[in-house]
Amino acid sequence: MNMVSKLKEILSEYEGLVAKIDKEADLMNLKAQFLGKSGKVTEILKGLKDIGPDERREVGPLANEVKEKIAHLTDSRLAHLEKSAIDKQLSDERIDITLRDKTKYDQPRHGGYHPRTLIQQEIEDVFLSMGFEILDGPHIEDEFHNFEALNIPGDHPARDMQDTFWFHQEPNEHGKRHLLRTHTSTIQVRGMMAKKPPFRFIAPGIVFRCERTDASHEMVFTQLEGMMVGKDISVSNLIYFMKQLLTQIFKKEVEVRLRPGFFPFVEPGFELDIRCLICNGSGCSVCKQVGWVELLPCGMVHPNVLKSGGIDPNEWNGFAFGLGLDRLVMMKYGIDDIRHLQSGDLRFNSQFSTY
Amino acid sequence: MKVSLDWIRDFVDLPQDISPKDFSSKFTLATAEVEDVIVTGDFWNKVTVVEVLEKERHPEADKLNLVTFALGGGKTFKVVCGAGNVEVGMKTVYAPTGTLLPTGLLLEPKKIRGIMSEGMLCSEEELALAESSEGLIVLPTDAPVGESLKNYWKKSSDVVLDIDNKSLTHRPDLWGHLGMAREVAAIYRTEFKNKFTQKWIEDWRAKAGKATPPVTVQVEKDCAGLAYFGISIDSITVGKSPQWMKERLEAAGLRSINSIVDISNYVMLELGMPNHIFDRNQINGGKVLISQLKKEETFKTLDEIDRQLIPGDTVISDNEKTLVLAGIMGGLESGVTESTQNIFIEVANWKASPIRKTSVRLGLRSDSSQRYEKSLDSQLCERTLWRIVELVLELNSNAKINGQSVYDGADLSSIPAVNINLSLDKINKTLGTNLSQNEVSDILTRLDFGIQNKNDQFNIVVPSYRATKDIECDSDIIEEVGRIVGFDNITPHSPQVEVIPVRLSEKQKLYRKIRDFCVYEMGSFEIQTYPLVGEALNKKTFWNAKNSDLILKNPVSVDHDRMRDSLIPSLLESMITNSKHQESARIFELGRRYASDKKDFSKDLSQLIVAYFDKDKNPYLELLNDSERFFDAIQLPYDLLRPSQPNKFPHALYDENWIGVHPFERFDVRVMGKIHGSILSIHPMLLKKLKIKGHLSVMILDLWSFEEREMKDKTKYRPLAKYPGSDFDYTLEVGNEVQVGDILDSLRKCKLSELKKSGIVDIFNQNDKKYVTIRSHFADNEKTLSGDFLTQLQNSILDYLSRAGYPLKS
Repeated sequence: MNMVSKLKEILSEYEGLVAKIDKEADLMNLKAQFLGKSGKVTEILKGLKDIGPDERREVGPLANEVKEKIAHLTDSRLAHLEKSAIDKQLSDERIDITLRDKTKYDQPRHGGYHPRTLIQQEIEDVFLSMGFEILDGPHIEDEFHNFEALNIPGDHPARDMQDTFWFHQEPNEHGKRHLLRTHTSTIQVRGMMAKKPPFRFIAPGIVFRCERTDASHEMVFTQLEGMMVGKDISVSNLIYFMKQLLTQIFKKEVEVRLRPGFFPFVEPGFELDIRCLICNGSGCSVCKQVGWVELLPCGMVHPNVLKSGGIDPNEWNGFAFGLGLDRLVMMKYGIDDIRHLQSGDLRFNSQFSTY
Repeated sequence: MKVSLDWIRDFVDLPQDISPKDFSSKFTLATAEVEDVIVTGDFWNKVTVVEVLEKERHPEADKLNLVTFALGGGKTFKVVCGAGNVEVGMKTVYAPTGTLLPTGLLLEPKKIRGIMSEGMLCSEEELALAESSEGLIVLPTDAPVGESLKNYWKKSSDVVLDIDNKSLTHRPDLWGHLGMAREVAAIYRTEFKNKFTQKWIEDWRAKAGKATPPVTVQVEKDCAGLAYFGISIDSITVGKSPQWMKERLEAAGLRSINSIVDISNYVMLELGMPNHIFDRNQINGGKVLISQLKKEETFKTLDEIDRQLIPGDTVISDNEKTLVLAGIMGGLESGVTESTQNIFIEVANWKASPIRKTSVRLGLRSDSSQRYEKSLDSQLCERTLWRIVELVLELNSNAKINGQSVYDGADLSSIPAVNINLSLDKINKTLGTNLSQNEVSDILTRLDFGIQNKNDQFNIVVPSYRATKDIECDSDIIEEVGRIVGFDNITPHSPQVEVIPVRLSEKQKLYRKIRDFCVYEMGSFEIQTYPLVGEALNKKTFWNAKNSDLILKNPVSVDHDRMRDSLIPSLLESMITNSKHQESARIFELGRRYASDKKDFSKDLSQLIVAYFDKDKNPYLELLNDSERFFDAIQLPYDLLRPSQPNKFPHALYDENWIGVHPFERFDVRVMGKIHGSILSIHPMLLKKLKIKGHLSVMILDLWSFEEREMKDKTKYRPLAKYPGSDFDYTLEVGNEVQVGDILDSLRKCKLSELKKSGIVDIFNQNDKKYVTIRSHFADNEKTLSGDFLTQLQNSILDYLSRAGYPLKS
């Protein structure tokens, strides 16, 4: 047999053997048996020196071709072995990916903010973006901050309008009695005293009224107070900010109306009503058939209030407003009973899950 | 306050076809919210005079007739009728279908015993002319057939507006129809017709003459009396009031009583000033005295209730007894009765505050006291007096004024007018409008303000009845202009202001970070609970509250009568509910606790509580690990302490001997040298008492101690290590009771600069022993550590640990 046919035979022998190998190590051994130092191909090529130049010219390229083919067959077999090993591992280790947390009866990971927090932070961000700071104050207050500084002296009938929780306490030498703040307007007083005009801020927080609770009344509820003091601040500016706020909250143009409202700490004072979002003004139970929902009392800060806050009303003026946050929360989510807000009951709170 | 549009029309010309809806919307936008609009008496337009032509028996019923009648205009009609007095030729009243009767019945076609009947012939009862009546109304024979009763009887229909009293608190002038009419005239820019002028008053004074009156008056200085007018009238007859007066009183929500009491009420509703009419025979000694009561007394008021009066209450009395509780209500004895013939009329003004005090104390808020407590104008007394006189004389043809009017009180001519100076510019700047001088003048003049202009300055004289408490300064005038212009008509504009960067404060940033971490990293839900708690909750949770003086005087319920001094009891209460419905639960609350304070009475202290609950697994370690990550996230400089000695580090989070504290599962959190937090499991004993089945662990943190602190980013970059370090693993053999934290604490004390880090790799227990594998990392920033030196280091820590009682595994 000449070398050419021997080489061809070796190649076909390798082709036959390699297809049966299923271990990486065996494959390497087999390859060595053919291409190694004393491998079959190497052995044959040792006889190259004994043949004539014509045959050598034919055998040389063929030998290289056979070597390349064997190497190629080895590589592809190796790739095949690796793939089947991984395939096997994958199918052995296959997991049930449909057993998701969401398919479980008790869903293990969840979390969420209180709905009041959601609305409050949203409004805070709107005002922050318009240059308003955010202030805070104590819940337990005194008569001065809650009433007197807000132009509500001792015998003022407006004190009747706000059912106040008082503490058991003998009036001290200043005659100051303590109470639970009935509105966030107390923070107006604190803000004015702490700041030099011009300034603008909002103040969200809980307030207290001595009132029986039911589905729509709470003795503890949240308000958001706002105040802007500067030079020549006008009613027109006030309406501007209120419209901006409402557009941001409701994500659409909201029709508003301003009507006179009486609050001792503002003059002029208004009630800002919005066109009922439930019935679009045709009348429903939410708006008590009038088509408008009372949303926020506001007005120009009364000169007496500015004076109490240490601000000269001849030089500065401003506006103030108060927003009932719980009403917004209830309108936004359609909550039927205000008492749920402070129940601490997860059947309520877990409905506001953020993930 | 109910306002009759018909009554208002006495003083202002309004278009007849004014729509109630338009009216109430205009009034709401300019003055005060109209809560309800009631249309009354519309049926008078529909019911007509008819003449009975024929009567035949109903084929199916003995007591019913088929009655044919003439409707006028040659038309006839037939209805079923059950009245006994139907006679051919009689004139009566027919109400067609579609009529809404005052009884509330809407007439619809109806089959009566098989025969269709449309509309009905009416009785007095059905038209609310009598409380009960028999048979049909019988009209005079000359009644014009086909005429509506509205025209025939001059009946009126009316529109009544119901206005929330609260929104009129500052406007006593609107508590009468005359004041309302002035307001309406200004809103509609139409003429206001006020006949009660100074001249009208002077005419009445002249008519009364100068004769000596039978009753005089004396007002003592220290009482609530500001002004007191009186006049005597003889020979009146107490009877029924005329229909028009009854209707107006009813429209305004008052019941008709008798002709004299009705006049008193009518004038109050018309002119806004309360008044009182005495039976003069009940006044002894010819003089009424207005003074503070000297000693306690029981007094029966008109409503037949005994009232306990105390010294200081202002009363009107004669030389024997108390007659009237000033400004609030008259006495039962001195009031007008059916047999009264001679009367004494009182129109007085009182100081708001004492009237309010007495009325609040007695729980008696009358129509009268409600008005006086808003501060009324003494200048309005006299015209009210003469208006009563006018009506009494009009309705009692025999009545005669007896003597001139009497007066005591302040000198009314000496009360100074309130003047306000204001520029047009200020009005426009404050409203954001561009009004002309004429527009502003017109509005203020219509509202009865006196105006003088000089350049763009207004000198404004406030009408006395608005100067009592309502209008005091510039802003009040600006409001008057604004509301008549319509606040709704002001175009919104952004102010021109300086741009200044604004950010959340450190505290607000912290709060947001806390909430974010609790929600996203701890997987918990935010709850908010009542800051007010009750003794029952404290008792149930064995909580010893330290703020016992923060108790409310007027709580709504005993369960919410005091301020909480920790979030823990509130949280436990919420867990009682949640453990019933949830297998596991994670919640947090960022709220406040309230502490007593000697100087400031109290302090609001912010606190965070996070709770992990699980029915089966102990969540303590998870909460502990999450809490530590949380402290790092909020950059809290903290360390954890295991409370070995009680009260070594006193804190205000809970009592050391509170039964809720778990004996083992607890770490305290030290921040800047003080305990401000604790991570603990709630003792199973307390959980059992609260019927919470499962494990509950809680992290509590007093935020107030550090929340204002600026959060500094303390991250510092170090160049990557140039020289490799070396890890060393070793296993220690210790008793089962040893806690790994103690071993690491001890290792931390071993001061080797090359020892960079140590930590637990593995633990296994066998035969009462604990085998703890620790990995330590050695490195030097300046050089590679040599093998010999490493062995030296390894031996020295093994040595150190062995001496500390933690030997190498043998």
